[in-house]
Amino acid sequence: MKIFLTALLFLLAATAALRAQPSFSATTVPSREIVTDAAARRAAYLKRVQEVIDYRANLVNRADPAGIDLAAVATMLARHEDPKFCSEQVIRLMKAPGTGPFWMFPVVCVTYMGRDQLSSEAKQAMRDMWRTTYQIRGDTENHWAMYYISLYLISEMYPNEPASSWYTGKSSAENLAEAKEYLIHWMDLATTVGQGEYNPVHYIGEYACPLMYLASWAKDPAMKTRGHMMLEWIFSDLAEGTLNGVPVGSHSRTTDEALIEPANSLAAYFSWLLFGNVPPPAGFGGWGVYFAPAAPNYEVPEVLYRIAMDRDHDYLQKDLKRTRRRWRYSDVLFAPIYKTTYVRHDYAVGSYQGGVSDPIQSHVWDVTWAVPNPRGQHNLMFSMHPESSPHTMQMYFADYPDTTAGGAVNLSKPSYDSPDKLVGSSPYEQVFQDLDTIVALYDIPPGTKFPHINGFFSKDLTKLTEDKSGWIFAQGGNAYLAYRPLAPYVWTQSHWAQAAIRDSRLQSDSLKNGTIVQAASTGEFKNFEAFKAAINALPLEFSLEPVPTVKMRTLRGKNIVVAYGAAPLVDGRVLDYTKWKLFEGPYLNAEKGSRKLTLTYGKLQRVLDFNTVKITDSVIP
Amino acid sequence: MKFLRSVLLSLTVATSALAAGHDFYICAATNRNYVVGSVIVTINGVFRREANGEWTHLGNNDVTVTALSFDPRDHNVFYVAAINGCWRTLDGGKTWRCTTSWDMTELKDLDVDPNAPDHVYIALPDGIAVSPDRGNTWPRLENGLPDRGKYTQTIRVDRTKAGRVLAGCETGIYLTENSAQSWRRVFPTKDTITDLQQSPSDPKLWLAVSQSAGALISRDGGLTWTPLAGPPADKALYNITFDPTNPARFALCSWSVGVMTSEDGGATWVERNAGLPGKKAGFRMDSDPPAHCVWRVGVDPDSGRLYASVIGEALYSSDDFGRTWKNEGLEGSAVNRFVFLPRATK
Repeated sequence: MKIFLTALLFLLAATAALRAQPSFSATTVPSREIVTDAAARRAAYLKRVQEVIDYRANLVNRADPAGIDLAAVATMLARHEDPKFCSEQVIRLMKAPGTGPFWMFPVVCVTYMGRDQLSSEAKQAMRDMWRTTYQIRGDTENHWAMYYISLYLISEMYPNEPASSWYTGKSSAENLAEAKEYLIHWMDLATTVGQGEYNPVHYIGEYACPLMYLASWAKDPAMKTRGHMMLEWIFSDLAEGTLNGVPVGSHSRTTDEALIEPANSLAAYFSWLLFGNVPPPAGFGGWGVYFAPAAPNYEVPEVLYRIAMDRDHDYLQKDLKRTRRRWRYSDVLFAPIYKTTYVRHDYAVGSYQGGVSDPIQSHVWDVTWAVPNPRGQHNLMFSMHPESSPHTMQMYFADYPDTTAGGAVNLSKPSYDSPDKLVGSSPYEQVFQDLDTIVALYDIPPGTKFPHINGFFSKDLTKLTEDKSGWIFAQGGNAYLAYRPLAPYVWTQSHWAQAAIRDSRLQSDSLKNGTIVQAASTGEFKNFEAFKAAINALPLEFSLEPVPTVKMRTLRGKNIVVAYGAAPLVDGRVLDYTKWKLFEGPYLNAEKGSRKLTLTYGKLQRVLDFNTVKITDSVIP
Repeated sequence: MKFLRSVLLSLTVATSALAAGHDFYICAATNRNYVVGSVIVTINGVFRREANGEWTHLGNNDVTVTALSFDPRDHNVFYVAAINGCWRTLDGGKTWRCTTSWDMTELKDLDVDPNAPDHVYIALPDGIAVSPDRGNTWPRLENGLPDRGKYTQTIRVDRTKAGRVLAGCETGIYLTENSAQSWRRVFPTKDTITDLQQSPSDPKLWLAVSQSAGALISRDGGLTWTPLAGPPADKALYNITFDPTNPARFALCSWSVGVMTSEDGGATWVERNAGLPGKKAGFRMDSDPPAHCVWRVGVDPDSGRLYASVIGEALYSSDDFGRTWKNEGLEGSAVNRFVFLPRATK
């Protein structure tokens, strides 16, 4: 199989993480006070951008040029520093070029940043690379975004050149047309039926960096605006789906490390860079560095900033997304993902309805609690079924069955085929969410490779109590948490993500299974005992046969009935997902099929309209 | 790009097999655990074996090449199936063009119609496309295929009649007799047909392997199919081949059973893994359950030599149809296709 991501550049940046990275190494955390002065916000943003650029450029060891990569060159060029040295490095790097989207967009970054600085020889070395070196397009949506934005920009830079001068064997005009057609197709898809790789905790960088370049450097004004709008569409998702800068709830793609430590993610890096509400991860998340050289071209709109920052007002956001492309074993190419995110000051609860969103790195649901300093904090709780299945992999990948699991393991998804993994989705999980209540039900067929569910219990929980009622109570930050396993369990551990060894893993081996989680702010109750009493007082009936079924009243007074395989009932009404909009909530709104997203905060409004290719700001009277 | 690159892969191969009437090409990835974006440190893609046993690399250094097919009128014209699309060279591999666009990806197979050589058929994860003009345009021709269930792993043109083509899909074997203007299912399956092959000696005789229906045989040009006893039906079988030197000999391979051969026209089958790498070696340490991990088999039409590619290990050959094996080099490789091209034409 040929999935995949690269760790090389990430590691280069991360290993030198602690050097001159004041925002990471500071013992204090950024203030979460809303900065009302636009000039001050802008200045703070540019200061953070400069910190990234300086950090990466200052890592350059001229005595060891072999360790200098394109990120180093790009950031040096951003500082207009020693173009001769940069040119020499470019020439050296082009002698051992990479192959594919993760290589292409950094080259594009250096190409554009070096337009007026690099030597003609260095420029020629890069230009020659596009002729001599085959670039693999990849098989994933983020691959294609990187690939086609890169191909678009580089073809636009070198127009009117013949097919013989490109690795594709196509002329500049042909490359440009193909790239443009795909990018518009992709944007159409995302803005009508939903994003494929939605809220990608790690892969947000693989979208944001090339889109930043498209918004910065495209000559075609419409494509430039499209780049800007799509970038902001993704940042809107980020702003909505974070609690004080860290990602919450469901994600299409994450990693073992970022999942259990949400602040240690590329998503948190972008929160830091754009909004300044969280410390950045070590090394600025590796790939995040590539955003910085072009970042001054982006202005964070106030409406977006305020949506990301304000956690004093509870909000419920419902979104429509889509799965990764399904090649086979499915009636549809893309299945809908119905995503719910409920965010409060002290915690957030987020989920999608279950099933497989992406076969490798999805995360279906969790409760994430707010913490003053998120560094090193494993501030979330969830359960999941650790599916490992060639059949599921073949649904999404055009490969033989037997190589899929090993391929994923070998190719940088090390936990995929492990029973104690914490990342992943399963066809045997169905999730219902109402505000801060989650009911996750499991009906795992006999013979399934890992016939159990894993529950994640953080080292950072306090007051962990196994109540005789069957509930497990705990406190995370200023959130009280109640976790109800529906089947017997044992306590063990997960070794995925090194840091997880201090966490606990609840393993429950019943094939028919379930988890109920409820959360509340500590301020809502006199004390922990009162919270426990309130939970225990709520009516709750459940059974596991013939299918897992829960009938209960939530802390918020809703009467719900959830049965595996059936539509949930809330106060007697059937939950109808088919009516879900692309975005629906106080902040983000879009109709399905509309190609138009409206961001609203108070009287501020911003519309990203792909129909007219226009961004419109207004103040509601 | 599209340079002609000569690569010495330190093979110790007897050259006798190459003295006869076919050129030997392979599509191979030699780069273990390639990650998109990284520097490719080995040479991958299409190789031609020279008379001295060395391999000459042709075209892109591409770890994703799955198939190639030649224009019978001019062997300087050939097509390659790869993750980016269908690549075509008109000058023996000196220059290349990706003839498809963004809407066709991860090609699984392709075949040139020998009786209508401007027509090229490609197997896609989401169906079938056919070029009527040597790859200049690629209309999707899927009338008769299901909306869903048309994942196509293999496509093979019947050499006896222009426009007669069999396709191995997720839901079975499909046949067209009018250049893909319409398809009809001739054999339903629960899961993907992985390979289709036409006998070199009897054009009515076809073999197929699958993920769910074991190995199949057709004696009427692919109209009806019968399971072959012996090969397992509950394991994915990857590909099957005839021995052009002996009409009664077939070989197939899979991850789980390794190499299986029949020397009586498919009536009985024997596993032929003695001498191949044992289970759980090298790249395959993570294989669970332990497996032989044979990726592809092929037979040299001049010598009857049987080749087997063991994924991540090496290329192996057998001069006694699998009873003993010899390491042929190509360490760390997975060979996706063996192609033996008659030298008779240019």
